[in-house]
Amino acid sequence: MGKRILIIDDEETIQTVVQFGIRMATGWEVLTAGSGEQGIQTAQTEKPDVILLDVMMPEMDGIATFKALQSHTETEQIPVILLTAKAQTADKCQFNDLGVSGVITKPFNSLNLPEQISRILHW
Amino acid sequence: MKILLVEDDDVLIKVLTRSLTSHNYVVDTVKDGEMGWTYGSTFEYDLLVLDIVLPKLDGISLCKRFREQGYTMPILLLTAQDTRTVKVQGLDAGADDYVVKPFDQVELIARIRALMRRGSSNPFPLLSWGDLLLNPSTCEVNYNGQPLSLTTKEYELLELFLRDRQYVFSTDELIDRLWSSEEFPSEATVRSHIRRVRKKLADVGAPPDFIATLHGRGYYLKTMDADMGDAFTATSAFVSEEGTPTAALVNLSTVAQFQTKENSPVDSQQQYLDFLNETWATTKPKSLEQTSILLEVVHSLQDDRLSSNQQVEAQRIAHTLAGTLGIFGLSKATHLARQLEHWLAGYEPLRPEQIPLLKTLAMALQQAIQNTTTIEQSPLFDEQSPLLLLVSDDSSFNQALIMVATRCSIRVEVVSALELAPEWAEAQPQVILLRLPTGLTPTKIAEPASASHWLSALQVISHHYPSLPILVMGDRDELDDRLEVVRWGGKLFLEALMPAEQVITTVVNLLGAKTYAPKVMIVDDDHTWLSTLPSLLKPWGFKVTTLADPKQFWTVLQSVTPDVLVLDVNMPQINGFELCQILRGDPDWQQLPVLFLSVLTDAASQHQAFTVGADDYLCKPVVGGALANRILSRLHRIRACAS
Repeated sequence: MGKRILIIDDEETIQTVVQFGIRMATGWEVLTAGSGEQGIQTAQTEKPDVILLDVMMPEMDGIATFKALQSHTETEQIPVILLTAKAQTADKCQFNDLGVSGVITKPFNSLNLPEQISRILHW
Repeated sequence: MKILLVEDDDVLIKVLTRSLTSHNYVVDTVKDGEMGWTYGSTFEYDLLVLDIVLPKLDGISLCKRFREQGYTMPILLLTAQDTRTVKVQGLDAGADDYVVKPFDQVELIARIRALMRRGSSNPFPLLSWGDLLLNPSTCEVNYNGQPLSLTTKEYELLELFLRDRQYVFSTDELIDRLWSSEEFPSEATVRSHIRRVRKKLADVGAPPDFIATLHGRGYYLKTMDADMGDAFTATSAFVSEEGTPTAALVNLSTVAQFQTKENSPVDSQQQYLDFLNETWATTKPKSLEQTSILLEVVHSLQDDRLSSNQQVEAQRIAHTLAGTLGIFGLSKATHLARQLEHWLAGYEPLRPEQIPLLKTLAMALQQAIQNTTTIEQSPLFDEQSPLLLLVSDDSSFNQALIMVATRCSIRVEVVSALELAPEWAEAQPQVILLRLPTGLTPTKIAEPASASHWLSALQVISHHYPSLPILVMGDRDELDDRLEVVRWGGKLFLEALMPAEQVITTVVNLLGAKTYAPKVMIVDDDHTWLSTLPSLLKPWGFKVTTLADPKQFWTVLQSVTPDVLVLDVNMPQINGFELCQILRGDPDWQQLPVLFLSVLTDAASQHQAFTVGADDYLCKPVVGGALANRILSRLHRIRACAS
């Protein structure tokens, strides 16, 4: 069954490449947002099956965005996977304590993302 | 050969630099341990010389960090204290040698030479290739007895080629290895140096392609005729020797590169790559712009007018760049951006002594982006890259291993021995590595009383993957331990201290010839043609077996079990068509890709070839590249069918 993915990342190139890669590999629908605020809005209206969330973003960072998503009833059930650079994986425990579903380390090959997501979420 | 000197004593820097450069070494110098890490992890060095007492991060800790992160270049420590503890500490941290200050310069240079020898694939004090002879201790070079007068750069080029014979050096690699990190020569500069060396070699009678060009990939020393055996020695050599580790690694990258090029247009990997290239066209100028902002920040810093806002902004840009470049799989540029991010984030306000470092990083980043005209390899790995299942709780080892594995396009899935969750069982690894915790030897685990979760982990693994090679890494290296490993179905026992790079080399070897060094068997009665083939096909990483006598076909076929067969048509006694028919008549060999290579250009012969079961038909003469590409595309097809 086709899934709907929302990626929130301030880098447009990353949005584009991830969108292309996931579509290419599985045909899943990929929505994009360039900031935390925009991402929350999209999540509320579109109700994606999973949110891929960049940790380091200007203004509203990934952690703040995640907390905001958790505080809204429309979005609190949506699983969130954080995207983070290897250097920051030391914070992995902290991320897990937050209650995110998983962490994917950058850089990644977008073609492999569906497989990684499926494994994390037991799809 | 390039050396990184990490030393804070100005007088010593001056003395050492003078003495090293007079021996044709390229030297980069930095004055504290943190910068030493940035340089050493970012640029290519053949050797590191570290002082033990250093600001910020001492030499022993720095050495340890390099080893933990999987860097294997030789490291020489300089110490002022001639005490046993310091020496032992240094060697335990992974250093290869140490020299006590004050030292004799001649001795230091000799030790450096010895270390470089150990690190290279050529362990002899004199380097030679065919009639070329280079003596690193005197810096003399001659060809067939005639001395060559070379500039420093020309000498360095030859020395590099001679140290890694058979390796194809790209222009970028040559720049990395032979120019100081503060210099940014253009590709044209490199080409003109190569041209001059070739000319000087030709003047003393060397063949014009002594240094050969592999189009689109780089330069290498061409195989000498003497190295090629006749048909049968090539066969026996293959049977007895499964290829050296370095050869296998080179093969891996060659094959990977060609796989991406050989994909059919419908292949998703190729389409993804095309898309990346399209996107790169617009991303490149943007990234260059961002890099110039970073360079401006360095200038502001130089003029002492960098505001903290600017620095924060620059850090953000470096972070963004790292993310963007990463998605294109540009690992070197990504690393450079990450290092910039690290320095911009960690030191506020930045200090004047950090200017050269930041400038070098930013310039190198600019050049790395500038030089990337196309995204050639699919970034990181695709589904075809092998998966290593790593059962280990040693996080620093895991990290180092993953880093090295990534460079070799091997995916790693880490599981804790405690987590015998079903998830990992879904993974389909090609090889398994189990790292025992310190102090726990195989014999200890096997004692029934221990009831260790490691034993159950092993049993579960070997039960679940009965046919997979299992590597076990452990503390002790005694016969009993090895025996236990064998009893559990472990294929190899590795010592716990083995550096990550070597572990991955072993893994690559285990993954073996089958996937990554395709075995090509060529049957042709033309001895001369046959004798040129191994070298012709070598750059593509094939293992070539040649056979001139078709009567031995079946025997050799069975012992070699090739992945691809290339047949001549006209041969005495049995012709190629008949051989192909024999092959297709055997259920074991029906699937083997067969290519015909013949002087017959007529349609009837070609038609007959396909009738008897050929997969492809090529006409002689054929160049190595064309043959290699056809072979690779066959292999690719068969692999695609299998999956």
